[in-house]
Amino acid sequence: MNAGMATVNYIKVGMSTCGLAAGAQEVFNTLTQEVARRNLNIPVLKCGCVGMCYAEPLVEVAVEGLPTVIYGKVNRDVAVKILDKHVMGKMIVQDYVYEGVPRT
Amino acid sequence: MNMQRPIVFIKDTGATAKRDATREIYTSLLTLLTERGLQDAIQVVRVADIGVYDKGVVAKVLPGGKLYANITPADLPELVEAVLGARDLARLQLTTDPNKQARLVLANCGTIDPDSIDDYIAAGGYEGLRKALTMSPEQVIEEMKASGLRGRGGAGFPTWLKWQLTARQQATPRYVICNGDEGDPGAYMDRSILEGDPHAVLEGMLIGGYAMGSAHGILYIRAEYPLAVTRMEKAIIQARERGFVGERILGSAFSFDFEVRLGAGAFVCGEETSLIASVEGKRGTPRPRPPFPSVKGLWGKPTTINNVETWANVPFILRRGGAAFAAVGTTQSAGTKVFAMTGMIRNSGLIEVPMGISLREIVYDIGGGVASGKPLKAVQTGGPSGGVIPARFLDSPVDYENLGKLGSIMGSGGLIVMDEDNCMVDIAKFYLQFCVDESCGKCAPCRIGTYQLLHYYTKISEGRGELADLDKIRSIGQAMQKASLCGLGQSAANPALSTLRYFEDEYKEHIVNKRCPARKCKALVTYTILPDACKRCSLCMKSCPVKAISGDRTVGYTINQELCIKCGQCYNVCKFGAVKGA
Repeated sequence: MNAGMATVNYIKVGMSTCGLAAGAQEVFNTLTQEVARRNLNIPVLKCGCVGMCYAEPLVEVAVEGLPTVIYGKVNRDVAVKILDKHVMGKMIVQDYVYEGVPRT
Repeated sequence: MNMQRPIVFIKDTGATAKRDATREIYTSLLTLLTERGLQDAIQVVRVADIGVYDKGVVAKVLPGGKLYANITPADLPELVEAVLGARDLARLQLTTDPNKQARLVLANCGTIDPDSIDDYIAAGGYEGLRKALTMSPEQVIEEMKASGLRGRGGAGFPTWLKWQLTARQQATPRYVICNGDEGDPGAYMDRSILEGDPHAVLEGMLIGGYAMGSAHGILYIRAEYPLAVTRMEKAIIQARERGFVGERILGSAFSFDFEVRLGAGAFVCGEETSLIASVEGKRGTPRPRPPFPSVKGLWGKPTTINNVETWANVPFILRRGGAAFAAVGTTQSAGTKVFAMTGMIRNSGLIEVPMGISLREIVYDIGGGVASGKPLKAVQTGGPSGGVIPARFLDSPVDYENLGKLGSIMGSGGLIVMDEDNCMVDIAKFYLQFCVDESCGKCAPCRIGTYQLLHYYTKISEGRGELADLDKIRSIGQAMQKASLCGLGQSAANPALSTLRYFEDEYKEHIVNKRCPARKCKALVTYTILPDACKRCSLCMKSCPVKAISGDRTVGYTINQELCIKCGQCYNVCKFGAVKGA
């Protein structure tokens, strides 16, 4: 799990009932709008629930050369930080990474 | 290259609300790196959760994923050298894999876009169906037999046997039904699968349909899951467009189509004969078995009903082979089980574990331990049909047989963690109230039994209980187990009987001493302020939601028992133990 570095770029937002109840739609909208506004070449995708319902909304971020990580308890501000720092600055955002879920 | 520089995740895994060393260690590590001119060579990230619990400060080094635990500030220079590959730090390295989960059913959940059939196909989807269509229906059932898959709805009946019984009936048409009427309080495994990986359920049912010579699949999903219904309906349309559903599937002679039916919100409709009645447009009540649905089910025809999770296991079995599935879990209980872990647990959510794992590993290694930091009291499995398992059995393996022996059941996968603030009388009363509300009323043992049991629990929780009531509870419970018409009534007494079996002392405390040790049965609790211990900080007065506490810093504080709603706020906020609750 999460031992290597990503080779593709994507952002995935968990959008099952648990995520949506915690505000995933707003996070998804923010990410899509801000990616377009910044002209970033990274797809914003949706997916189901990965299991860490206590930390929803969850956003998985893969950026080439960085480990793929899952951010939890993401709100609009954190979503913007993810784009500024992680996607553009290649620096992982502090305090929001959740490593508890096994990646298959 | 700068981009490939190592990254160190750090987290104080022993952190409490009062003390968290993550920031301290982070600052020390950054200072150290700056001193050595390495601040740009290593990226240090404070994380919210590192996947390891109660092992002090933990660092995870990427790439590679090596874990170091119980790190003190003095270890940091060595850690930096280890990160740079200049030395070995075996002294602190965690060698056991912290990942106790195994994902077969949930492999796609949270990975693929549930609205995209292409994502599902790219992840190996519909390969199981393709393979099944090259085999004979009997061979498919043999493969299911080899897998050892048992029903994930709770009872654990061998899936292959159910399929074979249906397949061997002469009557046609035959039906396959997916039971998505998930109703246990706190359980939502099926919802997550339906929402996160809808095609896996369709593929499982298609394979089942082929094996049993059926052309009709019915997805019975409770109406409270609107998103699951939308995603399933979309998945059916996509699958039909690609030729996985409809006439002559993938060029074979096999035809199959789906229909989605919504449950109207009755718990009993999760019971298979009630579910069939509901699909037929009748009132959702059970009927005696035999005949089993495999013989006479929907519209009097052979029908196989499997739970969502059971169907979602099928594609893997066909794609990778029954033996690959049987290799996971135990001999008697093959494969994995998805649990919805809730209650007093730090990481509540969905987990999937191999059968045979211990409850301790589930609660502490995956769940991160008890959220309140208080001792674990019990784990409840199986919802209103299950029982409680006290903390002393934490090391027993989780499989169908063992949970049954302990007086609980595997159930559909609800798992509620309880600490010492949970009252066992109150828990049993909660589930009985649920069963009184949900009993369909058709048979007397369930209709009257649940009501009578609840009566005794109300008595006990209000301080009017007698010791003789305990024997009454036992005999009514046993009568319900033996004489009820369906699983709801047969199992409705389980929470009562299992709490009584393991926590009889707590019942007696309620009855004899009129005390509720967990302070949950409000009629038995009185909060008072002990003047000698009180430091007159006024925190209790400020936190009281109903302004029942009066006084000031000179005369001290008192609780007006008339106004008190016994919420326990004052008890919880007092730092000096000056609020007595008994």
